[in-house]
Amino acid sequence: MQLPNPDCGRLFRDHNWQKSQLGPVETWAVELRTLVNVMLGSLQPMLIVWGPSQTTLYNDGYAEMCGSRHPSAFGGSFKSLWHDIWDQVEPIISAAFAGQGTAMDDIEFLMHRNGYPEETHFAFSYTPVRDPWGTVLGMFCACTEITTQVAMRRAEKTQRDRMLQVFELSPGGIAMLVGQNHVFEYANEEYHSIIGVGREIIGRTVREAVSEVVRQGFIDRLDAVYNTGEPFVAKNLSIELNRGADGEKQTRIIDLVYQAMRDNGGCVNGVLVQARDVTDLRAEEERQELLSHELGHRLKNQLAMFQAIASQTLRNAHDLPAARKSLSDRIGVLSAAHDTILESGRGSSKVRRLVKQMISLHDDPENPRFSICGPELKVGSRPSLSLSLILHELATNALKYGALSTSEGAVKVAWKVSGPNNDRFEMTWEESNGPAVTLPRERGSGTRLIAAGLNGTLDSKVELDFASTGLRCLITSDLETFQKEH
Amino acid sequence: MPKSLLLVEDDGLIRMDLADALSDMGFDVAEAANADEALNIFRGSLEFDGILTDIDMPGSMNGIALAHQIASQDAQCRIIIISGRYHPGQGKLPDGASFLGKPVSQQALEAVLKEAGLSS
Repeated sequence: MQLPNPDCGRLFRDHNWQKSQLGPVETWAVELRTLVNVMLGSLQPMLIVWGPSQTTLYNDGYAEMCGSRHPSAFGGSFKSLWHDIWDQVEPIISAAFAGQGTAMDDIEFLMHRNGYPEETHFAFSYTPVRDPWGTVLGMFCACTEITTQVAMRRAEKTQRDRMLQVFELSPGGIAMLVGQNHVFEYANEEYHSIIGVGREIIGRTVREAVSEVVRQGFIDRLDAVYNTGEPFVAKNLSIELNRGADGEKQTRIIDLVYQAMRDNGGCVNGVLVQARDVTDLRAEEERQELLSHELGHRLKNQLAMFQAIASQTLRNAHDLPAARKSLSDRIGVLSAAHDTILESGRGSSKVRRLVKQMISLHDDPENPRFSICGPELKVGSRPSLSLSLILHELATNALKYGALSTSEGAVKVAWKVSGPNNDRFEMTWEESNGPAVTLPRERGSGTRLIAAGLNGTLDSKVELDFASTGLRCLITSDLETFQKEH
Repeated sequence: MPKSLLLVEDDGLIRMDLADALSDMGFDVAEAANADEALNIFRGSLEFDGILTDIDMPGSMNGIALAHQIASQDAQCRIIIISGRYHPGQGKLPDGASFLGKPVSQQALEAVLKEAGLSS
């Protein structure tokens, strides 16, 4: 049968105790001999420090802790064994020799037992050994090196901290539930944000902490995951949570995943919850979809408008080059009106800008013939396109046949809010000092486009008065629809 | 005797152009700029063989509501809904109503009139 401490047992037997501070073994106190027997018979690392010389004896378990200092340290002084950490060890051993024992779960040393600096950890107890009269003869120590365990615990903690950091950094809500009653063990900030900031949930069951989800069937889903190990995955789930500032109920849309967590044996011991509040995202998606439909609708309406302009231009054209020029000019006017709408912000323009845009195309800065008068008035995008077109057609006709065809002619453009309830838009175009006006024999495309009125408005009217002193055009419509964005 | 149509469209340009196209095809065309105007014309008329109406228009009701009113008053009147929006869905239109997307091509216009039994 192998003795427990063959190495140190041999050292003990072979040591020349005669020449040591302890003297021959036969002269040793019974307490020391008893403790040596106990130590060399034990698998637990043990150490005896004896006498004023603090002679050191230890077993094989302790020898491992001594590193390269074993075996020379056996029978030597305790201070020479631990000289590099003596400032930490000395108070404890002195206390033991003074009759005070010490026990520690974890003491850390930076020692050089193997020739290089090494962080080490020990759990130990130093027990004073007394003779029958109470005099301290030495110290008995049972100890365990826990350096590996501490390193493992530290690595586990680092890993856990990193995992928690990942959870904290996650843009989604994460919670860990343990046990079949689904007790919150952990929840990240986003999870708290989803269920309502300030709610106390850690250490409480879901049923207690977020009671409003019980009647919504979420406990049943958690039970199912816990009992079957099968995950639960849902998108766009509507959930009512008491998450308001004062705990009032709010409905949110969430993407939710429940996944079973298992122990080392593979048994389910908890549920990992991943939740993402997609309420705002879905609302934004719906808004984008709506916007996309609206843009499509506008585009089609504008294509229909261009189609009508092209059709009217070709239908009433005298020849193809004239039709090409008219069409090109009209599309140019609409394009410029579009720019004005975009520059002015979403879906609106100003009457003055549209009028000035027309003047910049048709007036001569050296000899200005236009005068304008009117308030700052918003106009919706649909009426603004047709108003631009009407102004363009009026100016084109004036250049060809009206006041602008002579050097003395002038045009006054005025607009205002009118009607007994200030609910009408009214614009007048008055030509003067031009050639004598006669009623045209036929209605050209320009006149037809003018007569089409203001798009998107209620009760739009265009009256053309071919007075001999000059053409007068009155454009009116309901003000609200004139300014409304369609 | 030419068939009579009521054309309801708030965009004067599009209305004018569609009216020209329908007249060219031999229809008698009455025009309205919104649903309220259309109902006034409809009530004052002997009868229309068909109505073509836009959906989004200013006024007290849109084209779909107008179509339902017309359908409830004259089951024989064929209804064609015109819009730049997507098809509103059969359940939202009166029974037998047709749909025509904007912009309206000559070919599509002829096809929908034929489908509605207004032309051969």
